Amino acid sequence: MNRSLDYLFGTAVGDRGEDAQGVISLVRQWAEKEVIGNRLDYQRNYAVLFEEKARVLALSMGLQRLALPEDQGGFGWHDPGHVADVAAVLSEVGRADSSTGVLLTMNYALFSILTRFSEGREGLVEAMTASYLDDGLKITSCVLPGPGSAGRETPLYKGRSIPALVESRDSGSTLSGANIRPFAAGLRADLFLAVCADEKGRPCIALVPGDKPGIERGREVLTTGLNALANADISFVETEITRESLIQEPEAVPMLFTLLNLFLGGVSLGAGMNFFEILGDWSDSRVIRGSTPLKENPLCASVLAGVAEDIACSRLLLEDLARLVSPSPRAWSLDTEGLYTYAVMIGARIQKGIMRAINRGMELMGSAGYAKEWHAEKHWRDVKTIQSLLCGVGAAAPVKMDTARFFYDCKEI
Amino acid sequence: MDHFDEFSRPLEYLSPLDKHLRTVLRTYIEQEIMPLRRRYDEDWKEHTLIEPAFDKIMGELGLQKALFPQEYGGWGLAGSDYIFRFAYQLCEELGRADTGMAVALAVTFWPLLVIHLEPYVNERLIAEFAPMFCSTNKAVFAANAMTEPQGGSDIENMGLLKGRTIRTTARQEGDQWVINGHKLWPTNSGGTARLFGVPCTTRPGSADIDDFAFIYVPADAKGVTQGGPYEKAGMAADKNGDIWFDDVRVPAWYRAHGPGRDAGAFYQLISFGQVASTAFLTGAMMNMYERLYEFVSTRTYRNRPLKENEAVAGVIGRIAGDIDICRILGHEAAMMGDRRNKPYGLPLVSEELVGKIRNIKDFVSDRAVENLGKAMDVLGCYGPDRDWDIEKHWRDIKIIQLWMGGKQLCQMESARYFFNCETL
Ligand SMILES: Cc1cc2nc3c(=O)[nH]c(=O)nc-3n(C[C@H](O)[C@H](O)[C@H](O)COP(=O)(O)OP(=O)(O)OC[C@H]3O[C@@H](n4cnc5c(N)ncnc54)[C@H](O)[C@@H]3O)c2cc1C
Ligand SMILES: Cc1cc2nc3c(=O)[nH]c(=O)nc-3n(C[C@H](O)[C@H](O)[C@H](O)COP(=O)(O)OP(=O)(O)OC[C@H]3O[C@@H](n4cnc5c(N)ncnc54)[C@H](O)[C@@H]3O)c2cc1C
Repeated sequence: MNRSLDYLFGTAVGDRGEDAQGVISLVRQWAEKEVIGNRLDYQRNYAVLFEEKARVLALSMGLQRLALPEDQGGFGWHDPGHVADVAAVLSEVGRADSSTGVLLTMNYALFSILTRFSEGREGLVEAMTASYLDDGLKITSCVLPGPGSAGRETPLYKGRSIPALVESRDSGSTLSGANIRPFAAGLRADLFLAVCADEKGRPCIALVPGDKPGIERGREVLTTGLNALANADISFVETEITRESLIQEPEAVPMLFTLLNLFLGGVSLGAGMNFFEILGDWSDSRVIRGSTPLKENPLCASVLAGVAEDIACSRLLLEDLARLVSPSPRAWSLDTEGLYTYAVMIGARIQKGIMRAINRGMELMGSAGYAKEWHAEKHWRDVKTIQSLLCGVGAAAPVKMDTARFFYDCKEI
Repeated sequence: MDHFDEFSRPLEYLSPLDKHLRTVLRTYIEQEIMPLRRRYDEDWKEHTLIEPAFDKIMGELGLQKALFPQEYGGWGLAGSDYIFRFAYQLCEELGRADTGMAVALAVTFWPLLVIHLEPYVNERLIAEFAPMFCSTNKAVFAANAMTEPQGGSDIENMGLLKGRTIRTTARQEGDQWVINGHKLWPTNSGGTARLFGVPCTTRPGSADIDDFAFIYVPADAKGVTQGGPYEKAGMAADKNGDIWFDDVRVPAWYRAHGPGRDAGAFYQLISFGQVASTAFLTGAMMNMYERLYEFVSTRTYRNRPLKENEAVAGVIGRIAGDIDICRILGHEAAMMGDRRNKPYGLPLVSEELVGKIRNIKDFVSDRAVENLGKAMDVLGCYGPDRDWDIEKHWRDIKIIQLWMGGKQLCQMESARYFFNCETL
């Protein structure tokens, strides 16, 4: 590849502040020097690379502080004005490694929500910030509403079952729910950001430190991708939570979904862009029919075109979504519900687009696309994992229902 | 529908072995493969878990003998008029459990078919290799070493390139062939196979099919070096690696049939590989259906089973419908192969048969890739979970879409036949 990704996938760089540009180029250097160039050395044990390099990025380079409040030593990128920058940074991270991207996504989503609903929770914000400022890599695990079990009625968040329930006690509340599958990273999470239902069945968010008594973790689940973020089912057994760590504001859960769709769109886009580079290298050098460069064969070229189109369109969609989420006088205003709908709709579209790009691009790589050595297959597995986790049970049916509900005012779906 | 067996297949196409084979295979598969298959991925290099299962199925049950004539201790199926349908059923049943195992077994048949299938039968070589496979209870594998570093598709693109791009050379010296070259990716390489079938050229750069040679090379012949298995996205039960042939000498009669006829016998293989590939896919999809059935019946959206939600039903209905159609197509492809000797059939080397069978394989591959991806999405956060098996099939079968010359070659061969293209 002799042309830069920025040139090929034009972006509204003009809107980006100097700070953001600086962070992005720093992360790009990390991606290229620390990860992309070293992948073969770690082929056998990618988890080791992940641990080491994620630490460098999050701690030595300070990305763990990115969304922490400025007055406590963070960079202050937790506010909506920075979501586009965060998504762009996560794309750079995803280009190197999706797991690291997902890890940071969870942390950024946590602090975006915590600071947005900080009123009356100043102590909690301060304590959490302090803990994420210290020198350990912090793992946040999201528990989202998802499939329920037949015969067991649960409160719902837009049709999705809410797996954990909160019960009030004098001193605070308790959280209960058995065998819940977190989004990722449940096995070693330092903190669970769990969507749960209060006694009236209303969706809310509980922030539960991972070392609280009353949290049981199952065995490690083997997964298609994102394996570095070891996951496990968890059970909350009357786990105590303080009053402040229960976020009952109605906008909290839609906001969590909005941010996850935006940020994970960034991560998958980054993975897709690196796949594009890998495919580009392949198509530059591979020859078919004895002497025709693969990319000069019209059929192969049309597949290559499809790959580029999916990635380019996904990037534009991501930037538009980021613009919608950022408060801007120029954007048309959507309420929480509208924003949520656009986020899940566009988020699903981005995941689908990137997945299709990788799936089709692999066709052209023959066995090389299937070999771990080329790394194409890792992006394929990681993005598929993000897509399945994010878009919900029923092949994005919940997203379709959300969309129909918003646009057509459906009441029953 | 009560059982995955009810996916359609033309009942009049079933081989006489159908019922017996199904009963026996399922018992073996349930006992030997199903309980362990979720651990196969970690066993990709050593095959500690995988090998005993192969020993049972190929050695003890004796499937590795199936092609050889009965007088050599085989089952004589290569001479039957249902070999394609037998292979379809075998590959489908095994594919339901593990497509990697299915391909390792089917590819063992592959190079052996070159000397077994009328009109290309070589009695002397059959007698030579029969003991290797028929006189043991341990699994014995063969490999068909076509792909080379510069590309696999061109070598399989016999219709157009006629072996012109093959770089592995065979030179006759007295009563021996001397083979030099580098192959990679064959199923059952990486140290597994005892016998290789090696497509090579007797005159590099020649597009004359007389210069195409298919020569058998025992894996322990002097000058054969094998690399370890590659690590892949899936298909752990199949080992793939590099094979180097460095002045390897084999008897001259190890060439399958001689000038011109080697190319014909080799070309017959392509359709067999495509039919088997289709069977792996329908098997994998049928198992996906079983697992999906359980998921959508027991997990809910809006507190109702997923399958009772119209939006989800729309998706899973299409998935099952596709399996049904693909299975009919797969059996049709197998039957096309088995009709080869009938007056109304087509020879295996006819462009029509090759184009139509490649087309079916390409179609079914696309349906399988899409539907397994969709099924993972139906499972949502459980989609990527190994315990639900669907993700394993999703990883494993992607390569079925890509191997044997790639998807685009399938498209070209279809176009070549259906539109009489002359330069593709
Ligand atoms: C699990 C596994 C098992 C395998 N088993 C075997 C085996 O048993 N024996 C064996 O020999 N190999 C085997 N292979 C290798 C496999 O068959 C080849 O990788 C495959 O044929 C594609 O070849 P390639 O990877 O060299 O890609 P290339 O041949 O370089 O093809 C690259 C791309 O170009 C496209 N293309 C090629 N020709 C044309 C054309 N004329 N027009 C338009 N597009 C074209 C292809 O479709 C593909 O998309 C196996 C591979 C795997 C992963
Ligand atoms: C050119 C034309 C010619 C026609 N000719 C005739 C004719 O000769 N005779 C005649 O009787 N009618 C005729 N029709 C009408 C046509 O058959 C109906 O419009 C059609 O059957 C759709 O029925 P509907 O409008 O009640 O919509 P519905 O059946 O209510 O469908 C509306 C939407 O809901 C979806 N849907 C429907 N049922 C389900 C379900 N169970 N689960 C999930 N989704 C579902 C559909 O896919 C569609 O998207 C004609 C229509 C056209 C456009």
